[in-house]
Amino acid sequence: MKPIRLVPLLLGSLALASAAHAPGSFAFTKRADTALLAEPAPLAAPTVRLKLGTKLKIVEVRGPWLRASGDGDAAGWIFKGNVSATEPDTESSLAQVPLDASATSATAAARPLAPAAAEYGARRNLAKAQEDLAWLVAEGATVSAADVTAYLEANRKGEFQGAPDAAKEEAQ
Amino acid sequence: MKAFRMILVLAALGAAVSLPAQFGGLNKLGEALDKAKKGLDAVKEGQQVAKGASGQFSDEEEQVMGDSVALEVIARFGGLWRDAEATRRVNLVGNALARYSERPALEWRFGLLDSDSVNAFSAPGGYVFITRGLYELAATDDALAGILAHEIAHISNRHALKIVGRGEALSIIGRHATARSGDLREAQAKVDQARAEAAQVSPELAKFLDVNVGKVADLILSKGFDAKTEYSADRDGRELAVTTGFAPGGLRAVLVALQAKKGDPRKLFPTHPSLANRLKQLPNDPVPPGPEKD
Repeated sequence: MKPIRLVPLLLGSLALASAAHAPGSFAFTKRADTALLAEPAPLAAPTVRLKLGTKLKIVEVRGPWLRASGDGDAAGWIFKGNVSATEPDTESSLAQVPLDASATSATAAARPLAPAAAEYGARRNLAKAQEDLAWLVAEGATVSAADVTAYLEANRKGEFQGAPDAAKEEAQ
Repeated sequence: MKAFRMILVLAALGAAVSLPAQFGGLNKLGEALDKAKKGLDAVKEGQQVAKGASGQFSDEEEQVMGDSVALEVIARFGGLWRDAEATRRVNLVGNALARYSERPALEWRFGLLDSDSVNAFSAPGGYVFITRGLYELAATDDALAGILAHEIAHISNRHALKIVGRGEALSIIGRHATARSGDLREAQAKVDQARAEAAQVSPELAKFLDVNVGKVADLILSKGFDAKTEYSADRDGRELAVTTGFAPGGLRAVLVALQAKKGDPRKLFPTHPSLANRLKQLPNDPVPPGPEKD
């Protein structure tokens, strides 16, 4: 791959990535509780908290951050991964569950097999698979929402893209 | 879909409303009420048809379905690779992506199948499985994210459920057509019986799972989705990886590595379109750097 061919391709993919949330377009919150922030930074103060499916108008795009406004005075910054271009299913029972790190415990993530599925497994002689799945559920539950946030922060991903590298700053 | 639902509703209501005009007397009114009730049943069935055809299962239905399909996937692949460290890594990267997916509230679970073949699967409800053979090729988190994001896209877009939904829709339409052509009282008795059975939940649900879990498992493990669906998952997965902050070329890097491997093609993503065609559909992103060496 010659570098000269890479440039238009990279520009093209950047344009595609930002087209979904261009200024003037609309987006919807996709979680039970989403904050608009005072600044385009992950730890900025919330200006307002919005419920699932709130429609927002995109006013400005700055990298992966969007400045958006909703009904009334609701306005602030939001990471583009926290909104959807399409309206979510607000009747979904799971979507009502808050995803905030403090609200999501390992216990919540360790939902056992649905009884009907366990019955299905018994009818089909899938005892070994059931043991494996129980192991996976238990292992998965050891990765909490806080662990995922820590991973994102350490690797500067999600809302932490472009944020100062805390580890390097500390070392200096 | 809304138009289709509306036609069913109007047809059913039309049948119900026209009856009192056709029959006189109290005895006839009873029949008319039966038929009106049947009209409402038709509306409900029409709604079920609409729901099934669009893949709109409730979260609870999707969870039961997903748990059962997950059992089939694990069983057919000879079990999980119970490596705690690798499973933790796959769940960290997977949940980082899932957080910014179109369905962040699903209970996402990422598992490794104990097989040296190269493949990845998704089951409804948030289950993603990749084989040990594929995991071992994903040396960087960018590559792993590329693989997982593709499967997350299948689940977010309810690809498997939409296919099951189409089958369900056909069976409900068939039952409705039979009921309409027979004696109305007999048909009503059948509907009442079906309702009584449904109230017990287990037999109906068990039958539903026995029929549909196998169907979904066959689809994802043997036939695979059609090429158009796979390319769409490649595109959406790439976008999700980029949004989350992973390199856009993660999946591409894995596909290129597989092409160079020149192994038995039946073992390399056999349920997906050819590697060459998938690469053609993806943007020509640069391959992300490999892992840092000590």
